[in-house]
Amino acid sequence: MSALAEVLHRFDRPWIEVGRIYRRICFLRIEGQCAEAEKLEHGEFAEASERALGSCPPGPEADSMLREFLAEQGVRVSEAIAFAEVLVPMLSDRLSAAQTFPARQAPGGPGVRRARDGSRGEAPGIADFIDEMLAQDRPARS
Amino acid sequence: MTTATLDKPSSSLSAQPVAAPPSTSARSSTPKPVGLLVGLDLGTNKSCVLAGPVGSTDITVSKVVPSVVGYVRDGIVDGIITGNARILFGEEALKNMLHVELATPLAEGVIAHPDAARDFMAHIRQLADPSGRAEIRAVVGVPANAGEQAREAIRHSATGIFSHILLIPEPFLAALGYRDDSRVKQSGYVDPVVNSLFIDIGGGTSDLCLVQGYFPTREDQISIAFAGDAIDELIFDGLNRTYPNNGLSMISVRDIKEAHAYVGPSRKPLEVKVVMGGKSRTLELGDAIGNACNKLIDKIYPALTTLISSASSDSVITLLQNIIITGGGSQIRGIDTVLQKRLADDGFESPRVRLAGQDFQRYVAMGALKAARAARENQWQVLLG
Repeated sequence: MSALAEVLHRFDRPWIEVGRIYRRICFLRIEGQCAEAEKLEHGEFAEASERALGSCPPGPEADSMLREFLAEQGVRVSEAIAFAEVLVPMLSDRLSAAQTFPARQAPGGPGVRRARDGSRGEAPGIADFIDEMLAQDRPARS
Repeated sequence: MTTATLDKPSSSLSAQPVAAPPSTSARSSTPKPVGLLVGLDLGTNKSCVLAGPVGSTDITVSKVVPSVVGYVRDGIVDGIITGNARILFGEEALKNMLHVELATPLAEGVIAHPDAARDFMAHIRQLADPSGRAEIRAVVGVPANAGEQAREAIRHSATGIFSHILLIPEPFLAALGYRDDSRVKQSGYVDPVVNSLFIDIGGGTSDLCLVQGYFPTREDQISIAFAGDAIDELIFDGLNRTYPNNGLSMISVRDIKEAHAYVGPSRKPLEVKVVMGGKSRTLELGDAIGNACNKLIDKIYPALTTLISSASSDSVITLLQNIIITGGGSQIRGIDTVLQKRLADDGFESPRVRLAGQDFQRYVAMGALKAARAARENQWQVLLG
């Protein structure tokens, strides 16, 4: 993002509003909701961009700034969608895995260390042993 | 003041082509993967894999495989190798050793050849799930003293092959595997997980572990880098001294050891028939084998007494009754009686050293599969790959 656009983006409310609406328009078009996008463009977006341009010194640079700003917002949407393309299948797989392998929960929270007296008492469950092992590993890794 | 003309997304987003994320409804039509649990004893010489479906106590796969990968040499004529495979594993690799470069994924219990380890892990997956469709979670045994680097090497070789992994020290898994779950609540049954000392003698390491009803701490475990492979080397050296230029390979020496290994007083004559230079010969190997195997006792015994001494006075008497030897080293003749006698001679109270029994190659994997079945969701490590 350019230094100027960044300043506009961060500190000027009308520009923030323009960015928000434009990102919404981009998303609607990608989703195929062109009519909704058109309506937003000619309504909220037109008003917001008027306000944003009004907050700048008048001149040809204002239009240029707006174009640059909108292009940056478009890239943000593009990147977000690209990220979602990676993330959604991964999350879906994780959720699917959680169903494939029924979750086991600790009956009473993580295992509590038992007395080191092997001569009496009942052995704990295997999952409790694993909890103890993981608890031992933690300080070693940190 | 003018309003800027709004570009359509097709041009305003031209920096990258944009595709909508896949809809979740489309994905839900793909078949749900079958869940499979694997217990894996990744050994230096031999590995054991047990597998069973989630939510069941069935064991659908139980295999012991030599831990070796054979990469077929260039220029091998078609048809020499079954299916013209490029990589062979286990027995197949050994059977075709003339035509392959043999690689052993592990040395001294840890991964030494990452590429071979990864290929071997893929083979293990293939054994466990021939369909290739299952989502597999694996508990893998590691030597008692395996550091983070050794553990990371295993995780790395399993990434993309298993979905989740859990690494647990081998001697503890041996105790879990040796435990007869159907008898745990019977009076009179001595639960090895409550109070015992396991000696797991493998190819690369000998691991000793106190198992006393809690997960063993680092102080409760001792790993010694002297085991089957080191004995092979000592026998090999002894053979070469007595019979120079004998031409026997390390694999032949291992076979001889597995057939004749013993500890204790010298057993002579111990005559072994071998083929040298195409001629059959009988070699006297009593000293070579005995000296090499007795070295193992010298290495293990101090570690054994160290662990016994660290047990509480309340538990040590019962502990001395439950010293269990497992792994390939448990097949060395006399190892139980020699260790027991040495403990008794040193004044330990009524020691009893036992051999784990005929399933010695499977106890670690059995324990690993039990751990896989009992592990909670938050205990698994996800392998992102």
